[in-house]
Amino acid sequence: MSVLPDQPLTGFLDGDAAVLTKQFLAAGHVIVPVEDLPGLKRLRNAMAGIAAEQLKLPTPEDAGAFLNGVHRQVSVEKLNDLRLATINATNALPWVRKTYYALARNALDCLVGNELVMQRRLNLSIQLPNDDSSLLAVHADSWDGDSPFEVVAWLPLVDCYKTKSMYLLHPEKGAAIEAEFGRFQDKSEAELFEAIESDLQWLTVPFGSILLFSQNLMHGNVVNREPETRWSMNCRFKSLFSPYAGKRLGEFFEPITIRAASRLGMAYKFPEGLHE
Amino acid sequence: MSNRFGYRGYIASRPVRGLLQPQHVQNLVVRDYAQRSKLPYLLSATEYAMPGCYMVLESVMRELKHLHGVICYSLFMLPERALRRREIYGRLFDAGCTLHGALEGMAVKGPDDVAMLEDIFMVDRFAAKSLPAGW
Repeated sequence: MSVLPDQPLTGFLDGDAAVLTKQFLAAGHVIVPVEDLPGLKRLRNAMAGIAAEQLKLPTPEDAGAFLNGVHRQVSVEKLNDLRLATINATNALPWVRKTYYALARNALDCLVGNELVMQRRLNLSIQLPNDDSSLLAVHADSWDGDSPFEVVAWLPLVDCYKTKSMYLLHPEKGAAIEAEFGRFQDKSEAELFEAIESDLQWLTVPFGSILLFSQNLMHGNVVNREPETRWSMNCRFKSLFSPYAGKRLGEFFEPITIRAASRLGMAYKFPEGLHE
Repeated sequence: MSNRFGYRGYIASRPVRGLLQPQHVQNLVVRDYAQRSKLPYLLSATEYAMPGCYMVLESVMRELKHLHGVICYSLFMLPERALRRREIYGRLFDAGCTLHGALEGMAVKGPDDVAMLEDIFMVDRFAAKSLPAGW
């Protein structure tokens, strides 16, 4: 990710929008409180209920405690089946994507735009303590088919910290590595990780907050060495008319906030029937 | 006893969104979608290569009373003209059928689904589909 020169913001962004924008440009991410806490609790309760049903357990009274302790109920071998069944049932809830969007509507409006496309299916990540089967090696999504214009909304369903969370490489550090990327010509992701490990930022993202980050940043996770299970969701948002890449409209993204003027513009036809 | 036999696959002989996929790959995508969605799959009909030709799709439309629906390899195989698409949606729904896009993983079962699909087509005409060259 290229670092922007330290310059004043152009245009009319001011107040909170300017603060958030500067923060995002400087750090490549922001962690903000969700804008709809009841919506988040509804989502977490629904997901915990679905997971409990999959495990043939009663609906948990304390969704957070259940999710944190799910490693006592499921083996590593059965984990992916649980994850798929849970996220498939969650995605089938008719309210779930709108609720997810509402968790960060104003922040997304500020950082991405007010005409958006949203990923059609929410993703779920579950990382049991000491499980090395669900790792995401260091990468930037823009390297493998995502548009550099996308932003990831990463939502913890439990408190995420240290190795139970994810890491990011600060934009400045990332830019320095990318400027001499040729030295990784014959190297693997593991060697890239070694080169950046000491500079990584381990994000503390408590339940009730949401992380928005540019997927142009290098990021990933490692084995969860904390005593609790991580549950996090993620979903990408992009400005409606910014360039698409491998994740295409219709297949991956769906418009969610087309504005009236854009509808009129796209439907407009010049009068016909005149000749030279 | 129902005289409907399943969902007719519909694949292309010409590029879809600029890409020409081998027909056996298109069939794999359609069959996989049918399997995952638990829809009985019927052998695919293959549209002809000539631009603007929907002769095979028309043949599929004429067998709708024996089908539960149609699974296109991609919904972007539908005619470019909106009016022509509207007619297809109408004929499908009137016949009690549904339309599916395997690549998109999308089911079109009623007016709300049509509205979303038409939004996607509309935006797709205007939004840049790739990053600028030399990015």
